[in-house]
Amino acid sequence: MTYDWQTCLSRFMTVVSGGKKMDRVPFLPLAMEQIISRIIGITSRELVSSPKTYANATINTYEFLHSDYCNLSSAYAGPHEALAFAEANNRKDVIHWDDYKPVFIDQGAVCKTEEDIEKLEIPDHSKIKIWQTSFDAAKMIFNKTKHPQMVCLGIWSVVQELRGVKAYKDMKKNPDLLLKLCEKVYESQMDVYRNWKEKVGFPPLMYITAYAFNGTMMSFENAMKYEGQFLKRFQKEIGIPILIHNCGVRPYWEELCSEITLLGVQGSHPLEIDFWVNFKKKFPKVTIFGANIDVSRELLNGTPEIVELKVKENIDNLATGGRYAVSPMCALPWGVPLPNILAIPSAIQKYGKYPLKKQ
Amino acid sequence: MSEEILKRLKDSIIDGDEDDAIEAAKEALAANLDIKKILDEGIINGAEEVGSRYEKREFFLTELIMTADAMTAAMEILQPLLEKSDSAKKATILIGTVQGDMHNIGKNIVKSLLQGQGYNVIDLGIDVPPEKFVEEAKKSNPDVIGLSALLTMAISKMHETILALKEENITSKIIVGGGILSQDTCDKIRADAWTKDAYDGVLKVGKLLGDL
Repeated sequence: MTYDWQTCLSRFMTVVSGGKKMDRVPFLPLAMEQIISRIIGITSRELVSSPKTYANATINTYEFLHSDYCNLSSAYAGPHEALAFAEANNRKDVIHWDDYKPVFIDQGAVCKTEEDIEKLEIPDHSKIKIWQTSFDAAKMIFNKTKHPQMVCLGIWSVVQELRGVKAYKDMKKNPDLLLKLCEKVYESQMDVYRNWKEKVGFPPLMYITAYAFNGTMMSFENAMKYEGQFLKRFQKEIGIPILIHNCGVRPYWEELCSEITLLGVQGSHPLEIDFWVNFKKKFPKVTIFGANIDVSRELLNGTPEIVELKVKENIDNLATGGRYAVSPMCALPWGVPLPNILAIPSAIQKYGKYPLKKQ
Repeated sequence: MSEEILKRLKDSIIDGDEDDAIEAAKEALAANLDIKKILDEGIINGAEEVGSRYEKREFFLTELIMTADAMTAAMEILQPLLEKSDSAKKATILIGTVQGDMHNIGKNIVKSLLQGQGYNVIDLGIDVPPEKFVEEAKKSNPDVIGLSALLTMAISKMHETILALKEENITSKIIVGGGILSQDTCDKIRADAWTKDAYDGVLKVGKLLGDL
């Protein structure tokens, strides 16, 4: 039977627009290289070897997971942008491929010195093969599923890959230099956006890996300085909706939503459900993707029964009135038992049909 | 005089001032201060203050990194004194980021903080395969082995590494570190302890060794 992407799309659009007419709570997993490789049986490099392979593997994975949304996995800011910078600056030697993981570069190798930052070339994404493949694959996915694709960006995730540990010292010792690097990353991501729009044919939703907004890493003030101000600029220059991801343990959700207008947030911490109940009351126009279903806890170590109960807890507390989609807080990792992942859509069928009945 | 030197050393650790830490350590050496006193009242006191402010969210990763660097710099100056002194010698810790994970920030902070507390640290670097941990553990017989990872996908590699160590009858205590971990995961992959951040990691290593 053909997968009903049209109905899925309707659920997705309803939940993000704050609509209430849905048959059930949507499910939005985040499937990246490792889980796609596992389900489809090809390596990460094979996955991005052609747009067709990339698009089909992505669609088949999301169908296997019973997802209500199909998005190209690897237009992912950290690894692919880091790769683009490494290539544009003749540092292919720092790029590493592994069979079942996203591509990586040696952290801090591209911007080791101040001079490296001063001379850092901004990538032309029309010449970076992995991004070309991504643009074409995004278009194919859209053509097959009609799902609007999200481009995944983020300033700090890239800064940290390029500058490594020195980025944190720069905050105190050389903030102007660090801002210069942030500006270059921002310019690069605007280039991604422009290329996306041109090659895919429509503007994407923007999915931001806002890693700076984590209280273990930096103050909120610095998070705004090195990531937040650029999010505001994205919004001002492009005017597209933004969905924020942060899988840290001390995210600045409330502070962030008070500063920037967001379409939605995706994360798990804090793990207490009461936090999310209060968050929903305080920010009724922000869609919650999550909230506390954790890939490194219930999904990795639990059983399908435990996962179902966690999903039920989330639905019971957060799904009333819409603006809520079930979503594990981060990319599904290699070692998560597949029955645990599939327990999520199963629980949605049991407990997530509107009108909701608390059991 | 010695109090002033120790205070300066402590303050340099809190401020993450590498140059000042080096100067203070040199002064401590020149004044012939007891190494245990230098470690306890200068370096460890400073690190504890930083840890406390980190817990209270007054300090962040930047301060931890700079403190770790200041501690490493001071420890290098104090190395001749450490080598002579039995009282200051502590356990051996073997650390590394597991295979498939290239992240080194957390691991490097832990390394510097542990060195600053007088532990002998062997750092295998990043992307370390299980067999490398086994090989080095057999060679150096560490008291504790620390496995670091940032990525959720690295948890399975941590598990694989721990199984490889146990299969080879390595009896060192094993601590795993990274924001992705939990007690459940720690239990499942059969580690002895887990830590979510660098400062907590140093405390847990101390507990594993009965130093705290």
